Amino acid sequence: MLRTVKPKNARSKRALEAREPKEVEDAKTAIFVKGTHTGEVVSGVMKELMALKRPNAISFSKKNAIRPFEDTTSLEFFSQKNDASLFVVGQSTKKRPNGMTFVRMFDYRVLDMCEVGVESWKSMNEFKTPKSTPGHKPLLHFSSELFDTHPRFQQLKSILIDFFNGEVIESICLAGIEHVISISLGPTPSSLSTSTTNTATTTTLGATTSTPSAPLLDDSTKDLPKVHIRAYTIRLLSSGTRIPRVELTPMGPSIDFSLRRAQAANPELLPQAMKRPKLKKQDVEKGLGKKKKNLEVDEMGDLRGRIHVEKQDLGRLQTRKMKGLKKGNNGFEEEDEDGDVSMDDDDEDDRRKRRRSE
Amino acid sequence: MDVSDIIAAHAAKQKAVTVEKEIPLDIDTGLLTVTDLNPIDEDSYKDNLEDYLISTARDGVQALIGSLFSLPTTASPDGPLAKLPPPVYQLPRAKPLPKPKPLTKWEKFAKAKGISKTKKDKKVWDEEKQDWVDRWGWKGANKDKETQWLSEVPANADVDFDPRKAARDARKEKIAKNERQKLQNLAHAQKSSGSTPSNPGLQAQASRKREIEKTLATTRTSTASLGKFDKKLEGEKKLKGVKRKFDPAEVSANQEKSNNLAILSKIDREPVTKKSRKSVPESSSTGNDVLNVRKAVRFASKGRGGVALAREARALCVFIFV
Repeated sequence: MLRTVKPKNARSKRALEAREPKEVEDAKTAIFVKGTHTGEVVSGVMKELMALKRPNAISFSKKNAIRPFEDTTSLEFFSQKNDASLFVVGQSTKKRPNGMTFVRMFDYRVLDMCEVGVESWKSMNEFKTPKSTPGHKPLLHFSSELFDTHPRFQQLKSILIDFFNGEVIESICLAGIEHVISISLGPTPSSLSTSTTNTATTTTLGATTSTPSAPLLDDSTKDLPKVHIRAYTIRLLSSGTRIPRVELTPMGPSIDFSLRRAQAANPELLPQAMKRPKLKKQDVEKGLGKKKKNLEVDEMGDLRGRIHVEKQDLGRLQTRKMKGLKKGNNGFEEEDEDGDVSMDDDDEDDRRKRRRSE
Repeated sequence: MDVSDIIAAHAAKQKAVTVEKEIPLDIDTGLLTVTDLNPIDEDSYKDNLEDYLISTARDGVQALIGSLFSLPTTASPDGPLAKLPPPVYQLPRAKPLPKPKPLTKWEKFAKAKGISKTKKDKKVWDEEKQDWVDRWGWKGANKDKETQWLSEVPANADVDFDPRKAARDARKEKIAKNERQKLQNLAHAQKSSGSTPSNPGLQAQASRKREIEKTLATTRTSTASLGKFDKKLEGEKKLKGVKRKFDPAEVSANQEKSNNLAILSKIDREPVTKKSRKSVPESSSTGNDVLNVRKAVRFASKGRGGVALAREARALCVFIFV
């Protein structure tokens, strides 16, 4: 742990305040750090990823003896020192050549990790096409049904969204949409397409496995399809309607990798990390978070409403119609009643007058 | 009039911007993300990978752009701003949710009484300078009374009454009071919010505990038998490093004599205090006077010090001359 310092001047105080937890968080900063040995491939890919992640990226130029799956202390230290919550650790060994580990932190502690092995890549410079402006938000495109069913790919999707597009924004300038990052998988092998439903139910993002130290996701990675990351620039052509027609041009980089080891989200940290702030007042006023009365969801997940009705007036109840019970039949009675009423009124008036005179 | 051509053209345009998929695309506009859950077509994948990837990406992006361009927009100098809905896909946070700040004593009181805060401007209008000046801080308006060239003195004021000093003291007093209250609020906040190990509140508690233990240890060794025959509490630990030390029973006559004389001289001597230690070099410099100057000045000035006495004397002289 770093020692907590009391700020001595206004500038350092502001800097410390900027690090404090916020309700709506800023974009996550990623640190690119090299392990004891990174080959040309890994350092090149890391450079390309950094170009996409800029300006929320920090590059460590020196080598560090880091093994994320064995010891996380130095990651925690870097995270706290630089106020960063994402890591890309590059490491190439004989056993695991061209490896890159994506690490996500929560509260300066490791939340989950995913290791990938780069198989082929093409730099941004090899594509002689226009590039996007650094700092513009990319669109993200995921393509495969495994992103919804397989826990490994669910985790990968979550990490990549967090990496490229994690910041929640209120509005976007439509003219500033310049590029898309597309992540697609190879064809789903038959072994996965049949058994995916089973594996998905057993380990969804690792939250269900309850070993205290974050569990490794299942190790059988040889069947998993390849992952292709491509970046394209978007050209918007007028189509005559409000929505333009989209054309894509390859921008680079293009990276193909396969999944290796992974560590599922820490079951202690995950619930804390998934906590949402309470809705803001204006949202509540708009009715987004308003608690609706007399509505409830039952065990079956059906929305049930309860309505309150006034007490029924039985005097107006339509009963069986009979000739003798008809009201307006007898004209004489009606007149009589009216007369009575008026007489009564007169009587009362008389009485009042009498009292006054007395 | 035949409109079938126009309708056909419109339909063609629509066709160009709509995407038909077996499983509809899962679009999360809040995160600018689209997920295509359709299985990968193995033949076209193997046939031409790049073309296949770009075509699926185009379809997804077209659908996403379609939903983005149909969002409500507001105009801005850089182009239309689309208002994004909150994201559907939940991502983990980087840091825990911020804890609500504990209320200060005043805030609590104001809340109970329903007093709403009116924010003071940092600047106030200065009539003399005809300019806005800061309410406090460098060249602040709260220092006017200390810096003005002429200040009023009340009729019943003391001879040495300094209106500037009085104003400055009052201001400093206010600052000190504010600081004190701030510390109190901080201490109260720490007490109420069950402090974590790295909390200064707990550190203070730990240091107090250490102090108490130290005092206890001293008292336990304060008897001649070093606490050997004291009553012991249950679970009280034995003090470490405490040993009784006895002089040898048989010593030479000279040794015994000097020992006893040492005790006597100790009794005779004035107790050594900080003040007496300090006053030793002073007395040596002024000669061995009977008069304690410091004490005399204090007595004559009624405890206000030598400077005040001198000022008073000067004033008296002026008075006499007048």
